[in-house]
Amino acid sequence: MEIRTITAPFTDEVLSSLKVGDIVNVSGTIFCGRDAVLPKLVKKIENGTFDETGIDLKGGVIFHTAVSRAGVGPTSSNKAELEGTMPQLTKAGIRMFLGKGELKDETIQMFNEYNAVYAVIAPVTALLNSKVLSQKCLAYPELGMEAFYELQVDKFPCIIAAAHGERLS
Amino acid sequence: MEFNYKDVVAKVADCLVRAGSTFRQDKKDAYKCAIASEELERAKWNLETILDNAEVAERDRSPLCDDTGIPHVFVEVGPNKCLTGAMMKAIEEGVREGLKELPGRPMAILGDDKGRIDMSGGISPNSEDLALAPFLIKEVEEDVLRVHILMLGGGPAIRGITHRIFHKHNLQVVLDEIVNRAKDATRLLGCTPCALAVGVGRSQFEATALMMEAMVYSDFNKQSDMEKYITDKVNESGVGPLGLKGKTTVLATFMKVGPQRASGVRVVALRPGCCFEPRMACVEL
Repeated sequence: MEIRTITAPFTDEVLSSLKVGDIVNVSGTIFCGRDAVLPKLVKKIENGTFDETGIDLKGGVIFHTAVSRAGVGPTSSNKAELEGTMPQLTKAGIRMFLGKGELKDETIQMFNEYNAVYAVIAPVTALLNSKVLSQKCLAYPELGMEAFYELQVDKFPCIIAAAHGERLS
Repeated sequence: MEFNYKDVVAKVADCLVRAGSTFRQDKKDAYKCAIASEELERAKWNLETILDNAEVAERDRSPLCDDTGIPHVFVEVGPNKCLTGAMMKAIEEGVREGLKELPGRPMAILGDDKGRIDMSGGISPNSEDLALAPFLIKEVEEDVLRVHILMLGGGPAIRGITHRIFHKHNLQVVLDEIVNRAKDATRLLGCTPCALAVGVGRSQFEATALMMEAMVYSDFNKQSDMEKYITDKVNESGVGPLGLKGKTTVLATFMKVGPQRASGVRVVALRPGCCFEPRMACVEL
């Protein structure tokens, strides 16, 4: 099976070419955050102070994961703190969420308005750890493993689970 | 009772690392069967990726999943064996050492009762600060002192349910309610294929203890009629590996039925174990 590699941050052209069911490798720069930090970032977006962080979300990927000595691996994207933050983060520039679990129909329709996608990544920490090239904490270091991180990765394997208003069926 | 403290610590630490990094052979075989039976290419690919990950984790003695789980200890005590408070202390120390070595995800929540509930007390940066769950101790006929370590992840804890079922003097009513609960749980879990763990008892505590015992004595090659029925019915949902459709939503069900109450209620504990569970290993002391 030939697997295509796409590099983040993504252009609209790349995003438009993705179809549900595609198995792809994601390389490049990805952000990592989960329950504790994403609502804080959304609050900054809402009160107009996000630019102070210096983080550029345009065309970016957020992987719903902690970052710790144990490595990385997806947490459930359908938790309220995660799925609930997707609209604002998408509006602010994020174009791919990497995680696991079924999302609501309204979330998938919202993605369609922005040409954004949802990809499922297996919780294969041992494999993923071998593909992380570097990591850097960008915000809220006091949250420890739940801080906002940026990783450089080489070929994270995932499946496009929602794109263009469709989901895998 | 005399024992070698350092020896117990070392054995338990090694056991925890194996629990967090290794698939047993019966689980590997179950995955291979599932891969062979799947027709959807992506379902096969998902299962193969999980199995590849298990090989890397076992080779490197590194975590199967970044949610390395909360350590739970189950001890079997034979007729002429003794588990002392000092030994329990050594087991606890072994768990700490194992968490350092694996390494476990640093996720011990600090603070007082209120602070630990809302996490305002912060998170310890040290893997080994993660406290183990209360011991479960079982008297067994075999003359052993055997420690089982189970690493229970957060996803199955979110989707697990411990709740009563009114049986209406009909086994089918109970089985079908377990199936319905498992279908909902597996659809939302994300980390399928599951190993369902089920305990049926007279109280929430007993049902949960039985559910733990079901995991401890689990064998993917041995399925009772009731276990197979639950597995097959949940698999009809087609949720599939990672929730992306396919035949394999559940690899196996492990069910333990305890003594029951003379009433219309059965308390059922259900844990939709993720693709790595039961994540466990054992060692004789």
